[in-house]
Amino acid sequence: MIEPILRIRDMEYSYGNGEMALKQVSLDIYKGEKIAVIGSNGAGKSTFFLTTNGVLSPQRGEIIYNGQEINKKNIKELRKNIGIVFQDADNQIIASTVLAEVGFGPMNLKLHKDEVMDRVDEALSYMNLSSFKARPPHYLSGGEKKRVTIADIIAMKPEIIIFDEPLASLDPYNADMLEEILEKLESEQKTLLISTHDIDFAYRWAERLIVFANGRIIADGAPIEIFQNREILRQANLKQPALLEIYESLVENRILEQDDIYPKNVRDLKKLLSNRGTEEKHEKQTD
Amino acid sequence: MKIVKDGIRGSNNMFGHTHDEHFSIDCFAYKSKMNHWNPTYKVFLALVTIIMCLVLNNLFVSLFVIMAMTYLIVVKSGLNMREYISVMSIPFTFLLLATLAVGFDFSRHPAGEINMDLGYFYLITSKRSLLEMFRLFIRSYAAVSALQMMTLTTSSSEIISVLKKMHVPVIVIEMMNMIYRYIFILLELNNKMKKSAHARLGYCDFRTACYSFGSIAGNILVVSLKKAETYYNAMEARCYDGEYSFLQENKKTEGVHIAGASVFVAFLLIIWFATK
Repeated sequence: MIEPILRIRDMEYSYGNGEMALKQVSLDIYKGEKIAVIGSNGAGKSTFFLTTNGVLSPQRGEIIYNGQEINKKNIKELRKNIGIVFQDADNQIIASTVLAEVGFGPMNLKLHKDEVMDRVDEALSYMNLSSFKARPPHYLSGGEKKRVTIADIIAMKPEIIIFDEPLASLDPYNADMLEEILEKLESEQKTLLISTHDIDFAYRWAERLIVFANGRIIADGAPIEIFQNREILRQANLKQPALLEIYESLVENRILEQDDIYPKNVRDLKKLLSNRGTEEKHEKQTD
Repeated sequence: MKIVKDGIRGSNNMFGHTHDEHFSIDCFAYKSKMNHWNPTYKVFLALVTIIMCLVLNNLFVSLFVIMAMTYLIVVKSGLNMREYISVMSIPFTFLLLATLAVGFDFSRHPAGEINMDLGYFYLITSKRSLLEMFRLFIRSYAAVSALQMMTLTTSSSEIISVLKKMHVPVIVIEMMNMIYRYIFILLELNNKMKKSAHARLGYCDFRTACYSFGSIAGNILVVSLKKAETYYNAMEARCYDGEYSFLQENKKTEGVHIAGASVFVAFLLIIWFATK
């Protein structure tokens, strides 16, 4: 059996005001998974990420990374191997040049300066930012800032990368670019966790879906199963992805036959529709 | 709106993001052709020049420094002459007002070489004190232009890193870094809030304007406290452990620059000897 890379058991966290932000959160994450985390505002996604990364320490529960139980002493191990790309780039960027900013993480890992330089160069070219090196962050556009924050994390070479609502405040062009970057990271066997309100994106991209509501994980599984479960959708205040709804109504109206493979994007759906067209023609000819 | 007027913003697409209302001399340094020079070299050149100006206390040395610095900034660094004049006009006015007190004096009696009757008292001056005023003005203006040479060609983060090399306490260095980064975030926040207040007639008369100003100031304080926390979280998430260490690009000092500086200093000394 494959061991999970990250195992979380009964994790609980409450902020100072006594309200529980996370209740009995348990899950296993395996290497190379593509996970979308969804749930309404204040459902506990961000808190979950911060505890997973070790910034907030949970009052109860345990975190096991790579078979090693995390305690106060080795919490750095967690921060080193799990990187978070924060939602608001301005809350993440701290240095006054792009070079220093991307180098901040690797410098904190106490690597040799040459190694840091190599990693920074690599991360910058990965994010197509090499010409921005000496630029101060306050003269960058929103999309460029986002790319810098992703380069920040890539330079640290973590095993798991968490994106906290990366699509918010990105224009379509930058959103497309982000998806390309995600594909690239995926091909490198990185484990990716993305929180999002974009249901269509979650349906299209994710292999696994985790649904948060009121600090609890109320569903964890394949996106298609969860999006077909009306009860879960109602509890989490979610809607069905447009594509799924269209597909289901096509099936309902007998334009398409029910298939095990659901179309994940518009291209798949078009293919299904055109296949059906040729089949019909074929049938007519054989008649 | 007057966004496209400034050369820096309008003509140059290099800086995609602009701050509408405030215009910072901050970005001159990033545009400067002298940006790739070694920052320590530039800081020391400025310091040595300032010290020479002050210690030698010679009119011709100062005049030469002013010329040399203007040459560096306009020709070597590539700053537009008009922009340079507009940047320098602030210290110019300031120094002029400050040195006026040296040149002129008030007295009950017409005791000076030149007296101006102002009813109860006289405004008096003399050739000597006017000359003294002129010398002082040129001397301090030369020192300021050397300092400007540094700030217009060296980015703040690099100046801070030079200070770090000079063993300025770490706490000061870290605060300088953070404040520098945060000035822009808070300025932008202020801008946005001001605009939204404008949009709701928040500045329609003096009273309302005062009220809006106060509310914005209060709000910025609250937001900055909140931001400080998320900021700290983000730093911790990247393994921050109490020491702020930044990566800096290595910019080598070129032999030509060292030679240039030596010749410059030697020339200042020669001028000083010749006109002593």
